[in-house]
Amino acid sequence: MSLLHAEYLKLSRRRIYPLMVVILAIFIGLAAFFLLALGQIAPEIAEDVPVLDRPEAYVVGAQQVASQTWFALILAVVVLGGELATTAWATALTRDARRVAHIAARAIVFVVASWLAMLVATAGWAVFVTIVSPGEGSPGLEGWLDIFWRLGLIQLAWVTLGMGVIASLRSIGPALGAAIGFSFIESLFALWGPYEAISLTAASTGLFQVGDQGFFDAFVPGGDLSTAHAVAIVLGWSVFGLLLTWWGLQRRDA
Amino acid sequence: MTQNAIEVHGLIKDYRRKRAVDGLDFEIPTGVLAGFLGPNGAGKTTTFRALLGLTRITEGRIEILGHPVPAEIQAVTKKLGAIVEEPGLIKALSGAVNMHVAADTLGFGHERIDELIDFVGLTEDANRKISEYSKGMRQRLALAAAMLGEPELLILDEPLDGLDPAGQRAFRSRLRALVEEGRTVVVSSHDLADIEALADYIVVIDHGRLVTQGPLESLLQGGATTVAVDDAVASIEALANAGIEASHVEGGLLVAENDGSRIIRILAGAGIYPRAVTPARSTLEAVFLGMTGEDER
Repeated sequence: MSLLHAEYLKLSRRRIYPLMVVILAIFIGLAAFFLLALGQIAPEIAEDVPVLDRPEAYVVGAQQVASQTWFALILAVVVLGGELATTAWATALTRDARRVAHIAARAIVFVVASWLAMLVATAGWAVFVTIVSPGEGSPGLEGWLDIFWRLGLIQLAWVTLGMGVIASLRSIGPALGAAIGFSFIESLFALWGPYEAISLTAASTGLFQVGDQGFFDAFVPGGDLSTAHAVAIVLGWSVFGLLLTWWGLQRRDA
Repeated sequence: MTQNAIEVHGLIKDYRRKRAVDGLDFEIPTGVLAGFLGPNGAGKTTTFRALLGLTRITEGRIEILGHPVPAEIQAVTKKLGAIVEEPGLIKALSGAVNMHVAADTLGFGHERIDELIDFVGLTEDANRKISEYSKGMRQRLALAAAMLGEPELLILDEPLDGLDPAGQRAFRSRLRALVEEGRTVVVSSHDLADIEALADYIVVIDHGRLVTQGPLESLLQGGATTVAVDDAVASIEALANAGIEASHVEGGLLVAENDGSRIIRILAGAGIYPRAVTPARSTLEAVFLGMTGEDER
């Protein structure tokens, strides 16, 4: 518990987390405007954008939020990297002492923080849907709980990958480049059939089966993945991220 | 308590293309304030990192408080406080929150935090962010964090570096107080005058090897004698005839021989009777420069 408290203190007293939440809100707000409002305000401009009805529009929002992989990656890279790049890590004598416990504490706090941000963004989208989208109904309690655990699972994978990258590279700049680059390339590869079956991007979107999205279908991989398959992919990448973190920290010689 | 707080035997640390530590052997007894000296690049920080299990050693054996390191590092982690290179503080957090983070991270309680902040004189600044602290304040807070577990052994890399004279004096008095409580403190520093004023025990390394080690006083008093005589010129000649170098200094001669009775015999044989013969006290700087050859580099 004390390790969790230490990680909580470190994250909660920094400006980076609220700043990232604001940026996430801006991104999701823009996406909501273009996907939900533009078609109604200026249909001639948004002629290829399908009109999203309720309750499907809620799930599309969760999918949009889940696709913001940069949030978990940057959070993990910058916060953990801020320690690895200085001697805080060394001075606290934590490289050898309880290393696995430290990795677990960091992963838990980063995942929860990232997950909460995703819930806030999803809630914001839902308010937008309620105001502007046509149709009736909502996912219901069970549907929302389904969305919540899927968002959490996706954050686990991207957070652990971010930790793995910074633990391996130890320098924030290169690690950010590598993490964001990986996220971008992975999302491109996800459109390629053979890779789609193990793609984290495909699994992240595949966890939210939203059916036909018209124009966007070609750019949304993972639609054919079963939930079990998508969960297996996400867990597999999470294990890989944790192992990469452990391996990176194991190579202690700076 | 073990007899030696630190024992190092045959320590070798290779980086990719460079040997940073080359068969280093030394011991530091329990309950002393030890100065760990060496020129830049001598291997001091690498040795400290090896002692703390922060870098993997290539060869050799290290024992800290009787436990082999890194094999049993977890057994000594809670008995050991350290500042390696820059103080490891999180600039975005206040001094007090940094202490809470350190305590939580290391698995210690919060009971001593206020006492330790007071010990290092930062009570009034505890709620300011580290980014607003001076270097001296950061060093003092790092010392407080290093002491969270009431460590038996403190390993401090250049803790006086960058402190103003008043800060250095305050820091030295705090380190001395810790030794008087029975702890062992190991301090590396470039400033030989600091170490001379502070340490009881000295380890000097160069090129990754031991140059000398021992109690400070024995190092400073070895090798020369001060002799008070009336006829300095005749005395220098008499000693030179016996193969002993001597030079004229204020108040007499500085003779490159530590056996006072031999000096008296030689001078008496020449009809010279010294008024006083005392062991000459060198300075740590002179000893260090002579042993490491830094004055010739």
